[in-house]
Formats: sequence, C-alpha cells, structure tokens
Amino acid sequence: MSGGISVVLAAEHLGSVFGFPITNALVMTWLLMALLIGCAFFFGRRVKMVPGKFQAGVEWAFEGALGYMAETLESEELARKFFPLVATIFLLVALMNELEFFPGVGSIGIVHAGSFLPLLRTPTTDLNFTLALALISFFVIEVTGISVLGFFRHMSRYVNLRSPMGFVVGLLEILSNLGRIITFSFRLFGNIFAGEVMVLVAGYFLPFFLPAPLMGFEMFIGLVQAAVFAILTLFFIKLAIADPAEAH
Amino acid sequence: MQQLFSAFGIQLNLLIAQAVNFGLVMIALWYFLYKPVMTTLDERQKRIAQGVQDAEEAAEKLARADDAAAARVSAAESAADGIVASARETASSERSRIVSEAEARAEQVARDAEARAKEEGERMRRESEKEIARLAILAAEKVLKEHHA
Repeated sequence: MSGGISVVLAAEHLGSVFGFPITNALVMTWLLMALLIGCAFFFGRRVKMVPGKFQAGVEWAFEGALGYMAETLESEELARKFFPLVATIFLLVALMNELEFFPGVGSIGIVHAGSFLPLLRTPTTDLNFTLALALISFFVIEVTGISVLGFFRHMSRYVNLRSPMGFVVGLLEILSNLGRIITFSFRLFGNIFAGEVMVLVAGYFLPFFLPAPLMGFEMFIGLVQAAVFAILTLFFIKLAIADPAEAH
Repeated sequence: MQQLFSAFGIQLNLLIAQAVNFGLVMIALWYFLYKPVMTTLDERQKRIAQGVQDAEEAAEKLARADDAAAARVSAAESAADGIVASARETASSERSRIVSEAEARAEQVARDAEARAKEEGERMRRESEKEIARLAILAAEKVLKEHHA
C-alpha cells in the first residue's frame, strides 16, 4: 500500500480471542475507557467541600449541564436520572474524537499478509461503535416514553386509528424514529471518518503544512459532534415524554 | 443489507461489545465521578442554606434582644419618673403639713398669750378693785375717826 492512500471503511481485525473478533477500534475503545475511568477515579476521590480551581471548573460544567437538562426536560428529577447517560455520551465521544490525531493512532501497526494493520483506530470511525451508541440512545428514548406515559399511550404515537391522517402521521413517526438510529450513527461516523480521510488526503497534497490546521478544525468538529449526539439524545427524550395527544 | 454490513464491518458481537463498553463506562463514571460531585454539590447547597438560615435567625434574635433592651430601658425610665414624681408629691405634702402645723402652733401660742394677758388684766383689775375698796374703807375709817374726835 506504499505510495497510495488506503481508506478502509471497516475497522481492521487484529485477531480473535476465543472466536471473538478483536478490532483496532475495540482496542482503542478499551484504552480510552481505561483513561476516562482512571481520570474519573482520581478526580472523584479528591472531591472536596471547598473546591480548588479545577474542581470548581468541573462543578461549573456539571451544574451548567444539569441546569440545561432540567430546563429542557422541565424536571429536576428527570434531569438527574438522564444526566449519567447524556454526560457519558458527551465525555466518551469527545475524548475519542479529541484523541483522533494523537500520535500513534492509525500510524503504529503491524504488517500482516502484505497489508498494514494499524493497532489503534478512533472508535467513532467504526460504525460498530456509533451504531451501538445510536441503539442505546434509541432504546433509552423508547423505554423512557413507555415508562413515563405508559405502554399504550406511548404506542398511540405510532399506531393511531382514530383518523386516516393520524394513521399516516403515526407511520411517519415510526419511520422518523427508526431513521434516528441511522442518522445518529452515520452523522457521528461520517463526520469523524471524513475528517480523518480529509487530513490523510491533505497530508498527501501538502505534507507538514496543511494537515495541522485541518486537525485543529477536525478536533473542533469532534467536540461539536459529541455535543450534538448528547443534546439530540436529550431532545428526543424530551419528545418521548411529551404526551402524544397534546403534541398533535 | 448483508453487503452493507460487511462493507462497514458491522458485526453483532462487536456491536454488543461496544454497547457493553459504553455501559461499563457509564456505570464507572456514575460511581467514580457523577455521584461524588453531585453529593458534594448537594451537601454544599444544604450547608449554604443552613448558613443563611442561621444568619437570619441570629439577626432576628439580635433584633429581639435590642427590642427587649429598649423596652427594659423605657420601663426603667418610666419607673424612675414615677419615683421622682411621687417623691416630689410626698415632699410637697410634707411641706404643706409642716407649714400648716407651724401655723397652727403659732396661732395656739398667740391664743395662749392673749388668754394669759387677758387673765392677767382681770387679775390686776380685781386686785386694784380690792385695793380701792380697802382704801375706801381706810378713808372712811379716817373720816369717821376725825368726826368723832
């Protein structure tokens, strides 16, 4: 592959353990999980009643996010319930995207059967991760709708036999909610993967000079995409707990 | 569909693994990060509320103490006023009593003196009458003697 640009949509398989495929995206996920959990562990142990500057900053972000969620969901209790999900989506995706161009990611690898296999791959450029996240988001949204409104009231959003118009609206609702799985997963995957490809191509055209500012831009995009995923999840939860009878 | 999945490398076991990974991260962050920070925030909010309440109570208490002190001072003032007034009253009544007593005494004295003077005059008049009578008798005796002689 020397001298050319190779773009692989799928995460490369590095091997398998007991028949379970290990991809480079999965390895990177584990590393980032360990990093994030480690940071959280060391920070969480040092939380004091009288905060230092760093703790004050973290608390500011906490209260800001929680306040925004409470405002959106119009309930402090619901905001606290969904805070771990929304915050974890943002933190994990942001960390993955920010370390996308960390030296070694995509560049350290092994040559196997004549082709180069990078050991690390940003998980958000693997559809397995983004789709898993989208499915989690989708199920949380649906389960929340059912638990807040009740099964039949929630389902009346999709199957409405009171009027032909309502029936069509219900069908559209089903389509758009299922479509969320695809838009959620492909928006994140597409943005980050495209950014990676763009930097790769830019490096081919004008090495050393062009990639650096593009990397900075892509890191910004990564932050925005993390926020978009988290905030859209929040909004869809909000839509799911709204009474369908009142919404239409 | 199958082609699409294989092009993107989507595999059910990888999908499940990533979902589990996310779940693990969420649980770990909840336990290590969100919970302690939330607890601290709540605890601090509670303490601040308690502090504010304490300060309000203290201010109220202070105001009450001020009121009590002022009430006590005014009570003492009015009591003092009462004491002074009653002392003044007592003094004036005593004065008038003494004066009237003295006046009565003086009157008595004057009356006594008058009575005594009157008595004296009476007594002197009676004595002089007696003397006149005696002189008259003597003169009569003398006249008789000369006449006889």
